[in-house]
Amino acid sequence: MNKISVIIDEKKFDVDPQKTILEVCRENGIEILTMCHLKGLMDIGACRLCIVEVEGINRLLSACTTKVAPNMVVKTATDRIKRYQRITTELFFAERNHVCAVCVSNGKCELQNLGYKVELDHIRYPHLFPQCEVDTSHPWYVMDHNRCIMCTRCVRVCNEVEGAHNWDVMNRGHQVRIISDFNTPWGQSTTCTSCGKCLHACPTGAIWPKAIVQGQLEKNPVMVTELVERRKMKL
Amino acid sequence: MSKKKLATVWLGGCSGCHMSLLDIDERILDVAKLADIVKSPVVDGKEFPEVDIALVEGSVTSDEHHREILHIRKHCKTLIAFGDCAVMTNVTGMRNYFDLKDVFETSYVHAISNDHIGLVPDHPSLLKLNDKVVPLQEVVKVDFVIPGCPPDADTIFYVLFEFLNDRIPNLSEAKKLKYG
Repeated sequence: MNKISVIIDEKKFDVDPQKTILEVCRENGIEILTMCHLKGLMDIGACRLCIVEVEGINRLLSACTTKVAPNMVVKTATDRIKRYQRITTELFFAERNHVCAVCVSNGKCELQNLGYKVELDHIRYPHLFPQCEVDTSHPWYVMDHNRCIMCTRCVRVCNEVEGAHNWDVMNRGHQVRIISDFNTPWGQSTTCTSCGKCLHACPTGAIWPKAIVQGQLEKNPVMVTELVERRKMKL
Repeated sequence: MSKKKLATVWLGGCSGCHMSLLDIDERILDVAKLADIVKSPVVDGKEFPEVDIALVEGSVTSDEHHREILHIRKHCKTLIAFGDCAVMTNVTGMRNYFDLKDVFETSYVHAISNDHIGLVPDHPSLLKLNDKVVPLQEVVKVDFVIPGCPPDADTIFYVLFEFLNDRIPNLSEAKKLKYG
């Protein structure tokens, strides 16, 4: 296969032209922050954390949805990118009710880890404090909208990997919500297979099993990636 | 170098941050060499005096807290928001999703532990709760924040020791950033 050359952070790489900037960076040990990306699922560029600067293009591009092009010059860690990443992370915290102290994911949360990486010590924007629902109707699992950051990894894993399409998205802006079926309680879903893949795909404490208490939740999103990789294998 | 004056304050929080402060154990002697703790929930004293450093735990939940934090800001050189409640309201702010009236009624009228007709306390000498709980930074200028619920004793000591030696701490560099 023909390889093309790209320059990322002043280093030259010869890569497969089908790859995205994110894939090339991850393969070569260049750190890119992500939230909505989960290897194996379709990339949608929703979280805007993987933004990179590409020479000749004025706006920032999401590395997960941008394919490499010949002689592309990419920068991944400029002050401008870092500033936007910090703002994005603060808005994640300010939009809904992220109370780490009472969360099942405390200490093992991708959102917390993201905060540490962007050096977030406080939030400069006023919190919205919306009244969000907690759906406990499912016999085993809970959906807590307070902790959801709308990465839609649950929606994609349910649709693409499990093939059930229980989850979907309703409304826009700050009123956007993940819904089960046609906005009915999760426990009454006719499509959910109770497989639990959404739980492992979820980066925060938004979806969790009822058997878990504060700070005890361990998620395994890599399981989703492995499952997808194995399905591609030829028997 | 003259000794600095240190105060610790407990606003709308659970006092867990002060417990964590006590967990610095014998290192309190190192702090005592550099500073006098002149006002604190564990120190007797009524008026908030002029201090160099004030560690303020908890968020602003009432008219009394509001007055207090404005007074503290005027009388301290460095104001440190101490713990998640002071920095981002945390558990204290969980009542912000509801109307204050519903919060009172849930606690005092409809609580399962109520064995009589519940009454919401409204004596004039009691503080008046604000509609919304806010972090310190929405009321006054905050000079430094220590997030964490509670912050680790090591983190608290690190921050105190740096300030007492006229250095500015950096939680990220020291790998001491933590929430929850």
